Amino acid sequence: MHEVSPALHTAEVVHWIALVVMAIVYTMRIRWLLSFKLAKDKSAPGNPAQSNKERGARHSLFNVAMPWSMESTRNPKGFVFYLSFVLFHLGVVAGIILAFVSTIAPDFLRIPVVGWTVMTLIVGALLVSLYRIGRRTLRPLMRLISTPDDYFSLIMLTVWFAVGAATQAYLMGIWGVTNGVFQIVYLYLTSFFLLYVPFSKISHYLYYPFTRTYIGRALGHRGSYPVVRS
Amino acid sequence: MANQAKTHKIKMMEEQLAKKLNRQVVGSLVGCVHCGMCDESCHYVLAFPDDHKMTPSYKADQVRKLFKANHDWTGSVFPWWVGADKVPLSDDDLETLKDIAFGTCTNCRRCTLSCPMGVDTATLNRIMRGLLSHVGVMPEGVRVVSKDQWEIGNQMGVLKEDYIDTIEWMSEELEEDLGHAEATIPMEKKGAKIMYCINPREVKYDPRTIKEAALIFWAAGEDWTMPDEGWDNTNFGLFSGDDGLGGACAKREYEKARELGVDKIVISECGHGFRSTRFEGVNWAGESEPVPMESSVMTMLNYVREGKIKVDPTKNPEKMTFHDSCNNARSGGFFEEPRELLNLVAMDFQEMYPNRAEGFCCTGGGGAMSMSEYTPRRLESAKIKADQIRATGAKVVVTSCHNCVDGLNDLIKHYKLDCEVKQLVNLVANALVLDEVEKPVEEVAVPEEITVKPVAEAEPLAGRKILVVDDEEDVRTFLITVFEDAGAEVISAADGNEAIAMAREHLPDLISLDLSMPGKDGVETFVELRSTAETEEIPVCVVTGHPEFRQVIYDRPVPPPEGYLGKPVDEDKLVAYASHILEHRNEKAN
Repeated sequence: MHEVSPALHTAEVVHWIALVVMAIVYTMRIRWLLSFKLAKDKSAPGNPAQSNKERGARHSLFNVAMPWSMESTRNPKGFVFYLSFVLFHLGVVAGIILAFVSTIAPDFLRIPVVGWTVMTLIVGALLVSLYRIGRRTLRPLMRLISTPDDYFSLIMLTVWFAVGAATQAYLMGIWGVTNGVFQIVYLYLTSFFLLYVPFSKISHYLYYPFTRTYIGRALGHRGSYPVVRS
Repeated sequence: MANQAKTHKIKMMEEQLAKKLNRQVVGSLVGCVHCGMCDESCHYVLAFPDDHKMTPSYKADQVRKLFKANHDWTGSVFPWWVGADKVPLSDDDLETLKDIAFGTCTNCRRCTLSCPMGVDTATLNRIMRGLLSHVGVMPEGVRVVSKDQWEIGNQMGVLKEDYIDTIEWMSEELEEDLGHAEATIPMEKKGAKIMYCINPREVKYDPRTIKEAALIFWAAGEDWTMPDEGWDNTNFGLFSGDDGLGGACAKREYEKARELGVDKIVISECGHGFRSTRFEGVNWAGESEPVPMESSVMTMLNYVREGKIKVDPTKNPEKMTFHDSCNNARSGGFFEEPRELLNLVAMDFQEMYPNRAEGFCCTGGGGAMSMSEYTPRRLESAKIKADQIRATGAKVVVTSCHNCVDGLNDLIKHYKLDCEVKQLVNLVANALVLDEVEKPVEEVAVPEEITVKPVAEAEPLAGRKILVVDDEEDVRTFLITVFEDAGAEVISAADGNEAIAMAREHLPDLISLDLSMPGKDGVETFVELRSTAETEEIPVCVVTGHPEFRQVIYDRPVPPPEGYLGKPVDEDKLVAYASHILEHRNEKAN
């Protein structure tokens, strides 16, 4: 066990409590979604040569890793956005790893290859989130479809990335960051997120497997998915 | 506070929304992250880049707000936080919602394929349409068509006697063309293998497609029939979002098929008819084991594959491209077979891009052709499709959908494209090699030489007086020439007032009426003719390229016109129509 200050210890405890609360709320969220009746397509498969519900669902589920599968990520502008999407979400993963590992095994994050990988992803995600704030606030289209939750979630994530980068710098002892308060603030921010996420748009990743599977099965049954191009 | 201000209609919509929620729908309602990736997949967005309300996520948010305000945790407690505070409250808000749900989306489902989250925005828009329809808020065209489909049994209000009369007319023509007593259209034949269901548009505006299909069935030696009821394969429930209507329409076909004891239903080339009958109708009607169904394209393709009919692609030498109906391709997985058939019956096929499930809507989908109030916007959004077609350099756009035929014809005229629209049934019928057909043993042998007699040869309009009304001199001259060549005595007028005066003075047997004319336009002229005792009985055939013609048909202060033809007019079709209208009028008089 690593030695921690009382303030950091309190932050760690709050963090773990928040995680448990989030798990409970997420479970309730999924139960809520599953409480709605699953509509079944009673029609015969659309096209014997192409119809396959399972294949459609599989393809749809892993669509996230296939930018060529959608027109919106296939075109040059969309592909750049896709790359930023990948970096942003890898940064989120790195931030989550940072939050948990820094409380359990901080030395692991001091291993150069690990530490710099986490740092690179978090800083990259920070830059993407700054771009996204600009995109959401400057483009009239994005302003039209954005809600306070959309703005707040993005701004909070941006702050989280920034503090995460400072925390990782502190753990690695680089860039002159020596104040451990960053780690405490980071854990409290993470705790806040864990509690807030189930009630916000950020919970979309919880629904992703469901929505992608449903649309993949529906269109796979009809025979139009995976999309055939010529 | 908000609850107190809600009108009765809003409350009814909220109650109805609760009934429409299932897991897939809820997934789409909660899954959107407002990333904007769906934006450029929509032809409305591309055509109106500065109007951001065209973006699919904005349209879907209209129903999402209602959902969040009533069913979502955060939305129920802090509605403003998730945009659920901007729910409709007044009947004026519903009018705005009507314009969004019906006037800015054809439910083509293209945006669904571009959503990283798999949100089915088109389904959400259809739900909004259903909620609005539930409280009686919908475009007039949708209301009238839905009413006709509920009450008369088909979307164009074709009466049973008119339907049967048209089928008999086509049957007689087929028999006459082929000179074969067995070449007729069977009606209500029990135990036939196929029940052929069609789009009412074929009865009303394009009966030649019925004859062409009959010719193909006959050439293949098919055991088929047409039903006297339950023949309409279209379904406005798909467009209005009314699952009850959708189920009722589909059930009529299924029950008729069971009554006749057929092996399968063959659906004529209609995109939404195919989707509604073959897929959605099964679910709306709660059918567990429906009668097998297939598109007539599949039937025709199988005839060629199995050697039941022979085709000569050199008879269709023009450069052609193919437009995928959204309902066939995106929601039906039906896109390779039409191409295979097209390549078998035509010489020069040029692919259009993007295509198949990623093709753009013709802009006539989602019931848009019946909503004349949105026609200008629809035609502007059609620029995307027009550019696609122009890029192919094709002279013929082939499609397997009657809605697409109308939508494409409108955009071809609007954007002055040098091409025409055909369906596969037209091409297959044209490519048929009849004297090489191998008939089944039990069938009557095909005559060695068959000649199809051109309609115009027999002067079918001899002794008839026709009034041609059109402000464009070249069109007027063309119509006069065609009618005179067919033996008619022709008088003409260049505007509405002149037409009314001449109709009163000469009492013609038929009036060919343009709709778009300066001064008193064709609609006003038509209504005045119908409202005047001396002229009310004179049959009118509308000959126009004006898309608002549907206003005449659907808004009915007076009986509708006896016929409609879109410009450019085919010579044979014009004479055939005029002859039919006049014969029908005689029969009624007798």
